[in-house]
Order: sequence, then C-alpha cells, then structure tokens
Amino acid sequence: VDAHVLLVEDDASIREIATLGLEQAGFRVTATGDGRDALARFRQGAFDLVLLDVMLPSLDGFEVCKEIRRESQAPIVMLTARSELHDVVVGLELGADDYVTKPFELPELVARIKAVLRRSAAGLPEVTIAIGDLEIDPGSFTVKRGGEDVSLTATEFRLLLELARRPKQVFTRELLLELVWNYDYLGDSRLVDVAVQRLRAKIEEDPKQPKLIHTVRGVGYRLTSG
Amino acid sequence: MPGRVSSGGLRRRLTIAFVLAVGLSAAALATGSYFVVSHNLLADSVDTAERQARQNLAIVPTYIQEDPTALLEAYQRGGGDFQTAGVHRGRPFSSTFQVNLRQVPADVRALVKEGELAYARRTVADTDYLVVGGSAGRGTELYYFFSEEDIRHELEQLRNILLAGVGILMLVAAFVGALLARSTLLPVARASEAARLLAEGLLETRLPVEGRDEFGVWAQSFNEMAAALEAKISALHAAQARERRFTADVAHELRTPLTALVGEASLLADHLESMPPETRRPAELLIADVGRLRRLVEDLMEISRFDAARESVQLEKVDLEALARATVRARGWDGQVRLEAEDVVISSDPRRLEGIVGNLVGNALDHGGGEVSVRVGRDGSAAFVEVADDGPGIAPEHLPHLFERFYKADASRSGAGTGLGLAIAQENARLLGGRIEVWSEVGRGTRFTLRL
Repeated sequence: VDAHVLLVEDDASIREIATLGLEQAGFRVTATGDGRDALARFRQGAFDLVLLDVMLPSLDGFEVCKEIRRESQAPIVMLTARSELHDVVVGLELGADDYVTKPFELPELVARIKAVLRRSAAGLPEVTIAIGDLEIDPGSFTVKRGGEDVSLTATEFRLLLELARRPKQVFTRELLLELVWNYDYLGDSRLVDVAVQRLRAKIEEDPKQPKLIHTVRGVGYRLTSG
Repeated sequence: MPGRVSSGGLRRRLTIAFVLAVGLSAAALATGSYFVVSHNLLADSVDTAERQARQNLAIVPTYIQEDPTALLEAYQRGGGDFQTAGVHRGRPFSSTFQVNLRQVPADVRALVKEGELAYARRTVADTDYLVVGGSAGRGTELYYFFSEEDIRHELEQLRNILLAGVGILMLVAAFVGALLARSTLLPVARASEAARLLAEGLLETRLPVEGRDEFGVWAQSFNEMAAALEAKISALHAAQARERRFTADVAHELRTPLTALVGEASLLADHLESMPPETRRPAELLIADVGRLRRLVEDLMEISRFDAARESVQLEKVDLEALARATVRARGWDGQVRLEAEDVVISSDPRRLEGIVGNLVGNALDHGGGEVSVRVGRDGSAAFVEVADDGPGIAPEHLPHLFERFYKADASRSGAGTGLGLAIAQENARLLGGRIEVWSEVGRGTRFTLRL
C-alpha cells in the first residue's frame, strides 16, 4: 500500500499498538496524541488518511476534523466508542468518512482504512457523466455544477458517482454501504444518511427540497435530473 | 380495568335522599296548613251562617201568614245570600227550585223539631251548601241553604298552590341536592383522581387541603402518604441511577485500556507460530481471555446505554429471511443451522434484529446442542423468528430468570457467555416493540421466539 496515515490518539498504549499494527500492514504512520500538534503535522506532510480519536487534549477530534476539512479532502476515519453514537453522527456531519468503534481489533482497523483508501483509487470509469447541470469526471475526480468546481470528499464523490451511474434506480442504504463504504452486510445506515445530507448541501440548490438526490421513504435514495 | 366501580352512584343516592327529605317535610307542612286553613274557613262559614239564620228566624213571626211568600220576599229584599226551604202548616215550600225540604238531612230536621238550631253540609246539584235550620214554632221549620262554593274554590286554589309549591320545592331540592352532593363528594372525586395519577407514576400529585373537616384531615394524610411515597421512590431512583451511572462509567473507563489490550492481543495472534511452545499456550489463553473481556465490556456498555435510554431505532424495510440468513452466514454457522422461512418484510431496525437473532442462535448452538432450526413467519399480524434446538432443555426453575442480567442457568458453563446476552436481546426486542418468549422442556429442547 505505502499510504501515509496520520494517527491521532491520546492513549499511549493504543497509539503504540495501532502504530505497530498499521506498520505491519504496510502503512507509514505518523502518530501524535495532541489535537494542535496533529493539525500542525497535517499541514506539514502529505497524508493519505487521518485516523482521529475524539477525546484529545488541547483540541478535540471534532475541531481537528473541522479544520482538516476546511483545508483538505483527505479521508478521515474517526475512532469512537459505540456508547457515544452522538459522537458518530457529529463526526460524520463534520466531514469524517467513516468510523471505527473502540475497542477494535487491528485487522478490522486495517480493513476499514483500506476500504476508505480504495474509494479514492478504485477502478473508476473514465467517462464523464452529465446529469442536469452536474458534470462528474471520475478521471480527474472533479465535479462541476453549472461549470463551477464543487469540492467533494472521496466518500461524497464515490456516493454521487454510484448514484449517477444508474440514475433513477433506487439504491437501498445497504447497497450504498456496500458500494461506497465496502461494508459486507450490516453497517451503520447513518453513514449513508449523513453523507447524503452533506452531498445535498454541496450540490443541491436548496438542500431542504432536493431536486437531484431524492429520498425514497423506507427504502433509500435515487438520483434524478428532474 | 377490572372491577371498576361506576362513579356517581353515591352522588345519586345522596341527591335522592335530599329530595325525599325536602319533599316529605314540604308535603307535611302543606297538608297541615291546608287543614288548618280549611278548618278555619269552614268554622267561620258556620258562624256567619248561624248569625244570619238567627236574624232570619227573628223576622219569621212578622212576615209569615197563611203561606210563606211574604217572608221569602222579605228575605229577598234583605239581600241575604242564601236560599230558603221550609215547612209551614204542614206544607213544604222553598224559595227556588234548586233547594227543597227533602234535601235537608234527617238528623238536622230531628234536632230542629226539638227546637234547636242545627246545621249540616250538603251537596246539591254539584253545589256545596251549609244548611242551617231552625224552628219558628207551631210546626214551622225553616232551613237556609248557604252556598259554600267560594270556600270550596278557595280551598281548591290553596290545594293547587300547595301542590305546585311542593313540586317546585322538590325540583329545587333535586338541583340543590345534586350540587350539594357534588360539592360534598368533590374531595372524594379529587382523591380518587389523585390516587389514579399516583398509580400512573405522577408522584408529585397532591390534594388541596380545604377547611378543617374530615376531608381536610384526610387530604392531609393523603398528601403525607404521597410525599413519603415520592421521597422513597425518588431515593430508589437516585440509587438506581447511581448504580447505572457507575456501570456506565466502569464500562467507559475500561474501554481505553481494553482497546489497547485488544490491539496487543491481535498483534500477538499474528506471531503465535514463531513463539516457543512454553510461551505460546499462555499467549493463546491471553488472546482468548482478552476476547472474553472485550465481549463483557461491550455488553456492559450496551446494557448501560439501554439504562440511560440513549438508544435510538433506525427503521428500515427488513426482509426477515434475508436477515436471518445473513446473520447465520456472517457468524460462520452456515452448516449448523436449518432455516425455514416465509416471505416476511417488516419495518424495523436491521442491526438490532441481527443482534437478537445472532444471540438466540448462538445460545442454541452453545447450550442446546443437537440440531438448531430457525423459523421465520407470520402469526396473525405479528412477525416472528423462532430459534429452536433439541438439546437438553432448561429446568423450569430457571425459566423465569433467563432474561435477568448475569443470570446463568448453567453454572458449570459460565465461561461461555457474558450473562448479558439475553438481557440485551430482550431490551432490543422491547425497543423494537416486540418481545422474546421462551419455551423449554428438559430432555426435549428449547425454543426462543422473537415476536414483533
């Protein structure tokens, strides 16, 4: 792989063992236990992915996530406790791509990171797709709306692309989880809902009355140009 | 609600009693006054008639001759409001056709013949008369018919007024009685409402203490009872909340070192092969125990989330058969479980359902032994998932406690689970608006049914 991961985790033991595990899986890892330090390091180096704990000294994980999103579309995976599902939603809304719940096994962590990284790299069609006033170019990873660049994270881009490849088809949340997040069976459908909200905020004129990405109640979502 | 008494019975009875009391006393009063008035009126009438009769008799010698015509004319001139009948020289006579001698009662005539002044009441042609008779000597008898029609009318009127009065009084009494009963029974109604609210859990319910009567004292005692109850229950709640918070805090604090442990164990697991035999076995055990600890902490965290009511339900369309199949496959139980399913699609939370079904099937495989079968279907309007095994079964004394936390029916096999699985499954089922039922018979097997 040889991807460079920024690991931000304040517990020394977890930091060390996760670093070890990720390095053994072939990643390059820069680790820190402090929020401000994490931001400083992120600005210095080119990271392919950020692994971010919520509870951090000096600057918490949400703030770090928000700051990184302001400057970069690099994938962010939050490390959270399942008991704080609220944290999960907040993190996703701030632009995180996925989350791993503590306690996690190392293979699980590695698999999630790889899945997230695949999103930005996996074999995409080279053809530009145009829907309404949207132009999606998988080759250059860019989306234009009415000729203007729209900045999307890898997850948002992948989500839009999957929906746009088969317009009018209804995608269930499970299917989207599988296609976009590489979850085998039951992931958290909140991932999908929050990502759709974020995507709407970027490509819809009025995100509250979406004209492109429609909710099909009780089933999922679909993209239409009408 | 069973045995619920209809309210208002006492109120009705109180009102009826009040109306009866008022009606009876009014009727007694009315009857009494009627008789007094009628007695006085009739007595007055007799006095007046007697006076007039004496005057009439006094002028008889002056006017009576061969026949009584002159006398009758004199009476008429006098303007007396009476009619006259009589007998003179053996011949009866009368002033009008309406009255005659035959209408005079025999006992009156007998008295008159003895020279007395006598009277009696008679009704002639629907007219009430007071007949006063006297003797004018030498066989001449005179009877004066005084009409008492006006008295009869007056009495009739009085009777009507009294009857109407009694009727109106009873109506008013009914109204007032109902109001009185209501206001008297209001504290009772309030108390029963308050008791109901208390029973429903509104522990801050209190009764207003009005006045110093029995109800006031009662309300005060009721309030004291409610306050004591509220204090007890809130103390209990506080203790329970502390206990739950402690559980949540413990689970939470365990999580960070546990995450490190789990990571360390999984790195160790990658290198088991390269370890010398004397460290390899302890490392294997360490890895297994870390896994157990992890499950325990995760279950504790989950149960404390239920206790804090922080769980939310994500409703989606769920195909129960697909879910059961996926659950079994995801856990690698493919060859061990027989699945039999109808086509059932419901709106529910698939992740919670997966947890429940996974737990039930896992239990069946661990404890049941033998063949495990999963049946998905519909029972009326409710969907169900049934997990059955033909293992040793569960002794009846354990059955009521199966869903309690840390309850283990099989103490010798306590190492297998965390003791929280069924409790969590039941909480999940409840959250989805369903429940889990259990049937078991020693020697025949066990069947858990999730109904939704």
